[in-house]
Amino acid sequence: MKVGIPRGLLFYRFYALWKTFLEELGAEVVTSPPTNKNIIQQGLTYAVEEICFPAKVFLGHALYLKDRVDLLFIPRVVSFHRKEYNCPKILALPDLARNLFSIPGERIIDDEINMREEGMRGWQKGFLNIGKHFTTKESKIMKALQLAEKAYKEYQTNLKQGILPEDLIDHKNPLPLRERKIVLLGHTYLLSDSYINMNIAKKVNDLNYSVITPDMVEEEKKRYYLSTIPKPSFWTISNEIIGSALYHLKERKAEVRGFIHLVSFECGPDSLVGELIERLLKREKESLPYLRLEIDEHTGEAGLVTRLEAFVDMMEWRYKNIESHVSSFASS
Amino acid sequence: MKATFPHLLHLDIALGVLYPALGVEIITPPPITQKTIEIGVKLAPQNACFPLKVTLANFIEGIELGADTIFMAGGVGPCRFGYYGQIQRIILEDLGYNVNFVLLDHPRYGIRPFIRALQAMAGGRVLSSRVIKVASLAWKILRFSEELETERRALRAQVKNRQQLDEIVEGALEQLRQVNNGESLQAIQEATRKKLNSLERKEIEDLIKVGIVGEIYIAQETKINFNVEKILGDLGAYVHNSVSTVEYVLHTLPFTHSQEKLEAWKLAKPYLKRFVGGEGIDTVGSTIRYAQQGFDGVIHLYPFTCMPEVVAKSILTTVSKDYDLPILHLAIDEHSGEAGLVTRVEAFVDVLERRKKLNKRKLEVS
Repeated sequence: MKVGIPRGLLFYRFYALWKTFLEELGAEVVTSPPTNKNIIQQGLTYAVEEICFPAKVFLGHALYLKDRVDLLFIPRVVSFHRKEYNCPKILALPDLARNLFSIPGERIIDDEINMREEGMRGWQKGFLNIGKHFTTKESKIMKALQLAEKAYKEYQTNLKQGILPEDLIDHKNPLPLRERKIVLLGHTYLLSDSYINMNIAKKVNDLNYSVITPDMVEEEKKRYYLSTIPKPSFWTISNEIIGSALYHLKERKAEVRGFIHLVSFECGPDSLVGELIERLLKREKESLPYLRLEIDEHTGEAGLVTRLEAFVDMMEWRYKNIESHVSSFASS
Repeated sequence: MKATFPHLLHLDIALGVLYPALGVEIITPPPITQKTIEIGVKLAPQNACFPLKVTLANFIEGIELGADTIFMAGGVGPCRFGYYGQIQRIILEDLGYNVNFVLLDHPRYGIRPFIRALQAMAGGRVLSSRVIKVASLAWKILRFSEELETERRALRAQVKNRQQLDEIVEGALEQLRQVNNGESLQAIQEATRKKLNSLERKEIEDLIKVGIVGEIYIAQETKINFNVEKILGDLGAYVHNSVSTVEYVLHTLPFTHSQEKLEAWKLAKPYLKRFVGGEGIDTVGSTIRYAQQGFDGVIHLYPFTCMPEVVAKSILTTVSKDYDLPILHLAIDEHSGEAGLVTRVEAFVDVLERRKKLNKRKLEVS
């Protein structure tokens, strides 16, 4: 049976897990190609105009796969962390695809994965239900899940090393490591799709900086620093962004020179969380420069490059001035 | 302590009865005006949803009148509303306002802070017989204020003298502010119902019926949504609004539920399988209910970029096709202009009238 995984949204987080799981159950896994103009066009045609850009891109991918596979794999990932949620658009993702493309319900695997109340039990229940599309044997499903989780751990370990999801998935050569770093904040699906983010990691790399994404920060660190604010948000991915921003702020490493927050224009969580991060950074006595870049289907590459270059210039100027100030102070 | 709170339609009437009776001094923020909106837009994050901006401005206008405490509700998501309080507090802090922000959050975030907030909002003890008595009176007032608006929406197109209708409703709302016991409330209720019933009606053939669905704040707050229901009524449409604070509270409290909402959720199931935050699923369900009740069209009101409502909008395209029901989506934010909105609503009503005539002719022919 051919099962299609659209390359968008949570794909970049769970690809290794989903692929292994489905293949262990005997499915032939098909993924849509990296985002291209055509896929975006399709997404824009079908989606309502106000939904966020990554969701439109996702729908474009789903449409690409629709007639090429037997089953579309769009699980309803309500939550992958206790007491937290994903955003409403991710909660409704299978319904969006079903309604917008008029796909019969039985052609979409839309079982719910929900760790909000039940934690790991909710996770296992979800995968058990997904597995039942392929086999009735529970033991076989649980074994597939174990192998899948192993693949997922390995994938995460690789991400921690600083490899970008896209390079791992498509076996591309990673970018050369630079000595100086910029913290690149944002949702994995925005940071990982180099077509929609106009290859920002490469552009930063060309300016002689490496990026550090939230994926590259230890889970415990992110959670610890998240717990230092009065009330964390209820969106897991946004919480990870807050956690890694605070981690880099409080445990400052000399090579980290600034923050870039990449957000999609209509992203609900980031409209609030971005503000929170910006204000927390500003409150810090000796803070680092912060740039928020908004992206949607109308963003022009030239504008983005200009802002990026201006930001890096400012960052370097500021760094040098603060350095010289400090040294002169020390010598006197 | 002088507390202020956000506006939401006639919430201030009920709270204005509740708090003085509890011995809590309150400062009702001034009515929402263009200036309120400007304050909110200037200070709130650019891409935040509109209700955050307006309620933030309510607080600031309340503080300027002397408030030192803010009462606000929180939530558990996934809609942004649950995080408003946190963002608003940090903005007020950065602006240098020294106020006590009392945030009534879900008990999920700790039962102690929940009870402490509730205590602060109830002026001391939570469960004294007096608190319960006053709270139930305030609740009845809130209910009746919504009932008045329901009547006004339904009657506007049908009565001969609309000004008289407005006078009765506004008069009753003013009187509600003075209520201090169950008897005086009942007297107002009876007198108002009598007056409304005695209003002279027009004979209308083929009355157009329009339902309103959407997000709780924008769909109800007539000062923000350009009073769409009045525009519709003036154009000769019978209007019903599915969004209600009473139903919302009933559904949020742990031991009660809203029958209306449960019913809507059930109707929405074939299209949207689960709750997606805010009123997303209610919007879908209520639209289907309007279709089944023979309404001629539905107006969907929501803040621009509202996540649950954008999901609902995506799904309503299918509902609209399946039930052959025209839906007008109106996203509201600080950039919305009245003239553009009125034109769209007028055109929509024209479409509904024409459709009604055509359908009737078709029936007559067959």
